[in-house]
Amino acid sequence: MNDFYLIGALPWWLVALVGIGATALLVQQFINLRQRLALGQTVFLTFLRACVYAGLVFFLLGPALIDKRVTKLRRPLTLLIDTSQSMGFPASAKTAPGDKTAKSRLDLVRDKLEAGQAPLIQKLNRDYDLRVIRFGTSLEPVAPGSLARLRPQDPGTRLLELLQRATRDPAARSGVIVFSDGITNGEMQSLDGAGALAAPVFTVGVGDTEGFTDVRIAKFGAPEFAFRGREFKIDLTVQAFGMKGRSVPLFFNRGKNLITTRTIAIDADPFEQKVTLSFTPKELGTHAFSVSIPAQPNEQITQNNRKEFKVDVRRDKIRVLTLSGSPAWNYRFLRMAMKQDPLIELVSFVFLRTPTDTVDVPENQLSLIPFPIDDIFLEELKNFDVIVLDDFSHRAYFNPVYLERVRDYVRDGGGLAMLGGSRAFDSGGYGDSALREVLPVELDGKGNYQARGNVHAALTAAGKAHPITRLLPDPKSNEETWSKLPELTGLNQVRGVRGETLLTAAGDGTQSNAPLLAVGRFGKGRTLALMTDDAWRWNFIAVGKKETPQNHLKLIRQAVRWLAQEPAFEQVQLYPIPTPQPAEKVTIKLKVLNDDYTPTRQASIQLRVFSPEGEPTLVSTGPDGEEGEYSGDFTPTKEGTYRVEAEASAGGKTLGKDKTSFTAAFSYGETDDGLPRPDLLKKIAEASKGEYLSINDWNEKSFEKIAARLEAIAPSEIVEQRQTRLWSNLWPFGVILALLSVEWWMRRKWGLI
Amino acid sequence: MNRRQFIRLFSQGLLGAGLMPALIEAAEPDDKRRLQFVFAQIKYRGGDWNPHPLSVTPLMEELMARTSVEAASARREVTLGDGDLFNYPFLYLAGRYEFDPFSQEEIETLRRFLTYGGFLLIDDALGQQGYGFDKAVRREMQRIFPGNDFKRLPSGHAALRSYYLLRRIGGVRIASPNLEGINVGPSTPVIYCQNDLGGAWERDQVGKWTNACTPGGEAQRKDAFHLGINIILYAMTENYKDDLIHVPFIRKRLTR
Repeated sequence: MNDFYLIGALPWWLVALVGIGATALLVQQFINLRQRLALGQTVFLTFLRACVYAGLVFFLLGPALIDKRVTKLRRPLTLLIDTSQSMGFPASAKTAPGDKTAKSRLDLVRDKLEAGQAPLIQKLNRDYDLRVIRFGTSLEPVAPGSLARLRPQDPGTRLLELLQRATRDPAARSGVIVFSDGITNGEMQSLDGAGALAAPVFTVGVGDTEGFTDVRIAKFGAPEFAFRGREFKIDLTVQAFGMKGRSVPLFFNRGKNLITTRTIAIDADPFEQKVTLSFTPKELGTHAFSVSIPAQPNEQITQNNRKEFKVDVRRDKIRVLTLSGSPAWNYRFLRMAMKQDPLIELVSFVFLRTPTDTVDVPENQLSLIPFPIDDIFLEELKNFDVIVLDDFSHRAYFNPVYLERVRDYVRDGGGLAMLGGSRAFDSGGYGDSALREVLPVELDGKGNYQARGNVHAALTAAGKAHPITRLLPDPKSNEETWSKLPELTGLNQVRGVRGETLLTAAGDGTQSNAPLLAVGRFGKGRTLALMTDDAWRWNFIAVGKKETPQNHLKLIRQAVRWLAQEPAFEQVQLYPIPTPQPAEKVTIKLKVLNDDYTPTRQASIQLRVFSPEGEPTLVSTGPDGEEGEYSGDFTPTKEGTYRVEAEASAGGKTLGKDKTSFTAAFSYGETDDGLPRPDLLKKIAEASKGEYLSINDWNEKSFEKIAARLEAIAPSEIVEQRQTRLWSNLWPFGVILALLSVEWWMRRKWGLI
Repeated sequence: MNRRQFIRLFSQGLLGAGLMPALIEAAEPDDKRRLQFVFAQIKYRGGDWNPHPLSVTPLMEELMARTSVEAASARREVTLGDGDLFNYPFLYLAGRYEFDPFSQEEIETLRRFLTYGGFLLIDDALGQQGYGFDKAVRREMQRIFPGNDFKRLPSGHAALRSYYLLRRIGGVRIASPNLEGINVGPSTPVIYCQNDLGGAWERDQVGKWTNACTPGGEAQRKDAFHLGINIILYAMTENYKDDLIHVPFIRKRLTR
């Protein structure tokens, strides 16, 4: 269909001015012609000229014929459906706790879109270019027909970030409809400063706030590690909704053992109270703790009533227990060495009296304390890192059965040192005790203690490289230092060595190359045997020779560290691993040292990562950073605790092992807070010029209202038009030319030209 | 036969008769047991370094009878210039009269000895503050530790609790109810008694006490032995009795 339009580019006033000018010219022409011609001739010629002027003015107005064609399109429509875990919470605040038939928030959304004989989702799919996108931590398009398969599965809700991204899509420019409970826990918590949304957002709020009842542990903070024997604190906030007037217990547990209970009196709605709990760990290792509030009557969400966390209890000091058979100079200087070492915490028992010693005063005038055998061997043993039996025989003081505990303690990772003397090794009756199984020397019950002879200590090949006997970094200087150390005057004979000999003894009255210092590894633990009670001479006699006592002090400190498996003394050391999110690559680094504690250049490393279910993955490694450092990349696929084990070898010899663990976790805390946030949804709608409505008000009519808004924002028709300009062809000019030609011819005929 | 030898023989007799548990046998030292403690007395120039020549053996017998320390019954006489001085980390310095100043080398040796773990018990047999032996001792100690004066040992000092819980200081006479000491770091390597401890310990050849203890009599002598044992154990265990594990027991007994 063609419509006539005037589309001239000149302003109307100019056209009118031209028209007035033309009229004035016509009047003047009429007056001039009337003086020379008859009235009929004058009118005829003036009419011709008026036609010409009228044509010119008309063409100035831009007359055109326009042909319009209207095309109807399918409107694009984007539905965003929140499938975060909080959408699995009950939709109604009146749901009874534990009611498994209760509809979740996501169920309600599904019902609204799919219920009835003519489901709305089908109608939308038919009438619109429908896109359905589920979201939580990312946008995932889904088929409109697959709503039934949606699950509240996403571990977090990045509502605002994802809305910004979704509205930038050209297909969603006219607006989007969002079904959500409004809970957001991404980086953006509000629209402030976030910039405007690129399209109107129509938000549909899911979940009741009226009558919402919940108590939860929020804003939880616990240390990842703590020191043994030192109190650590955890801070948390208890929040409650709809529970004013109630009191709830808060339990703090280690594993299944209750540590403490607090009663929280809820005196407001909403309610919030900060709570600080503390605990002093006594055992090393990773311990699981929990804080929890029992499910309360009518509480909708119970998942957020409990927080579980792990604390890696480390030692701030190496705890050493020494049992000395009697006061002796060896104890005196051993004690001095340990007391001067800030890393060592010493607990010592010196047996000042034997059962045959008599006293001349009542017991209460003696400072002697009873040796707490049961406490030490049944309770406290595991809390020590190293046990030193210093010229000590168990026979006079306790049942040998207790030594089985010490043997097991070593196999479980403890350190044990036996120092010589007339009460040690075979002389102390250890040849037929359980300790024989874990000592690095062989006992046969026949070995004697020899108090005669001048004994020289000599480094063995193993001793030259071992961290215990490495008094100086330079091997030559170290060997020279050992050769200059004062002589010893006592030696325990042993049948042989089961571990490594670091020092041998030679001198008057001793067998050639008799072992003087030996070390061994048994189970997870380490043991040391020093076959003399004279090590103090390496200190004090050296002082008398105007030499340093430091060699003895260093030997003691290094021995304690090696026995305690101090990380710096480990040949394979895994570095701490940060907490990644699932699907985030994490680099696992480790350090490998040779037997002489120099970096290992070409180590063969087996690095395995065990998933939370225990499935191992072999991680390939390569050199990294400094010499002796290696690394491998691993990507956890899901949340949970991953165990890492590394074993290194060089030249076919195993250098050592280390293990650690890390946790992969999203940092959203999606199920911590179940309270719907309609306020945020309203703000989003308002800020984007959309509209908010509760899902309870959602129906076909309300959708039509939204559809009308969408139509107003961007009509769904496309109009095509074709213009035909009437002045831009030869005909108008031909007519004007013809009129002027007739006028010229008539003027000529009537003698005016 | 000393007390310890007697007990050993007696125990072996009981064992032979099957009357004593094997436990006791196990606790007995074997023949090759080393002597852990030697009482070394300093010989110096001038004055009287040896006011009580027979004082040490009774103390060592008492030490072995009451404690687990294996000690040489006789004393060892040493000079500060002896090459084996540092074999004996416990030194005893006694006298009545003023003695000659130590040589500078002796001063250096003694400072080194006391700084790195050795111990010195000083016993004034005269008991006159500012005169004779006391005057010489304070002079020499000032040379060894300039500016570090003797200080009275507090009643809770580890030396007074190392074996017996001592409330009194014994000796031949009570010239001072307190001990004095010089502290180096956390320990007290020099302890000074002015009550003539050696006089209280001394017996003659037939076993009679050489000196009467006044005014406390035999109880005062007993205190002197207890103090001697405590000081020896303190030297060998340092501040062991200050360890936290002992504190509640000792406090409980002292408040009874």
